[in-house]
Amino acid sequence: MRLKIDEVLCSGHGRCWKYAPDVFPIDDDGFNLLRGSIIEIPADQEEAATKGMKACPERAITMID
Amino acid sequence: MAETGPVFETDDPELAPERLIERFGRDIYRDFDIDDPTLNEHFHEAIDFMVQKCPVAHSKVGTGYTVFSKEETIRRIGQDWQTFSSAKGYIPNRPADQPMMIPVEQDPPDHTAWRRALNPHMSPQVMAKVRPDVLREVNSLIDSFIDKGECEFISEMAAQLPGRAFFIYVLGVPVDDLATLVRNVDLSLFGPMETRAKYHKEVYDYLEVFMKDRAASPPQGDIIDTILKGVTYGDGSEAPWDHKVSVVLDLTYGGISTTIYALGSIARHLAEHPEQRRQLIDNPDWIENSVEEFVRAYSPVVAMGRSCTRDVEVEGVQLKEGDFIMLGYSAAGRDPRSIANPKELNFAEPTIHHATFGVGPHRCIGSHLARMEMAAFIEVWLKRIPDFRLKPGMEPVYETGFLRAMSSLYLEW
Repeated sequence: MRLKIDEVLCSGHGRCWKYAPDVFPIDDDGFNLLRGSIIEIPADQEEAATKGMKACPERAITMID
Repeated sequence: MAETGPVFETDDPELAPERLIERFGRDIYRDFDIDDPTLNEHFHEAIDFMVQKCPVAHSKVGTGYTVFSKEETIRRIGQDWQTFSSAKGYIPNRPADQPMMIPVEQDPPDHTAWRRALNPHMSPQVMAKVRPDVLREVNSLIDSFIDKGECEFISEMAAQLPGRAFFIYVLGVPVDDLATLVRNVDLSLFGPMETRAKYHKEVYDYLEVFMKDRAASPPQGDIIDTILKGVTYGDGSEAPWDHKVSVVLDLTYGGISTTIYALGSIARHLAEHPEQRRQLIDNPDWIENSVEEFVRAYSPVVAMGRSCTRDVEVEGVQLKEGDFIMLGYSAAGRDPRSIANPKELNFAEPTIHHATFGVGPHRCIGSHLARMEMAAFIEVWLKRIPDFRLKPGMEPVYETGFLRAMSSLYLEW
């Protein structure tokens, strides 16, 4: 599974990190550290990553494949 | 103001003016008024109706405005700050002489400059450090009334906690001044119209003296020092003194009334739903999910405004440059297009189908503090007072404007 984290839409809600802290680290401002990139999700993190993706109030995280 | 003709052509008898007036005390489709007392009386029924039956509604009050209620639409508008500006204010028919609140009533890049400076002080990591203090405050507040077997929740708990959490631990305001400050904020928002400006000024003056004192004291490396240092705006100018005071004012307004209502709504809901109390007692790891559900169903912000920077069509309505619109956050959290049973709260799954903390660059800067406070409150309260109910004969009292507020909530156990 690969996810895209939109650089502009991320507004620092921190919900992705709350539900999947190992997948979505945040910076000192509370924004997704990996915003603007496409990340590969390890198989054992897919469930948490999906939860974190769905929790984004901006819908800034989308599934590529 | 957008022309209102075609959008009102409807065969739906439920949307007939006389039917709406009979049901809600006002034609909330063609002439919505966020400050009308009838909205307060019919609040949840009215916003549920709006999001389902007329997710685009109009107001003729003052210069008029359009209200959007669909969650999806609100997300799109909130994210598009270039088209929907905050720089002309977030309340409709704003008095011309009222100074702008900074940074909530700014657009990027000036808004961004402030948020970059402020965000590190309000991050989830910082709030995790404040959490033990907040847990202790919840316990000490409960100590003060638990033996009575009852409390008036708003004055004895809800109005105390956000003030303590925010002013003592984040801003560092002297605790003795809290009661007056909280009261003045409340009167400036929900008091008689003619004295609101007076109390608003009292809050401003208090915070300005506080800021002057801090400017003359050794730096503490906290959020106040960051605000005093200021930011550089897009045109190269430095943020003026009154903007710095306004930032503290904005944080103060953002952090008090909203959290009081959120805590009151949580307490009322849990008082009336013993089975859901039991769920949270048995599954403490659901508490953080429950916070999302509480703020979804009971948003403290009824609606926030924007001004159109150009002609634009939204949901088939042609808006013109300068038109004022409102984003109905309360209704958006109860949108059946987003969530199957919006009136029911589901703590098992995080269903973040709400715009309660805003969407886009203006995302509530206190959202991490507020979430932490709510979760800490639920955790401690349910441990110490697992069974409680509304006090018979004492109906909770609400107030409604662009914010929703609860002025009394009697509980017993």
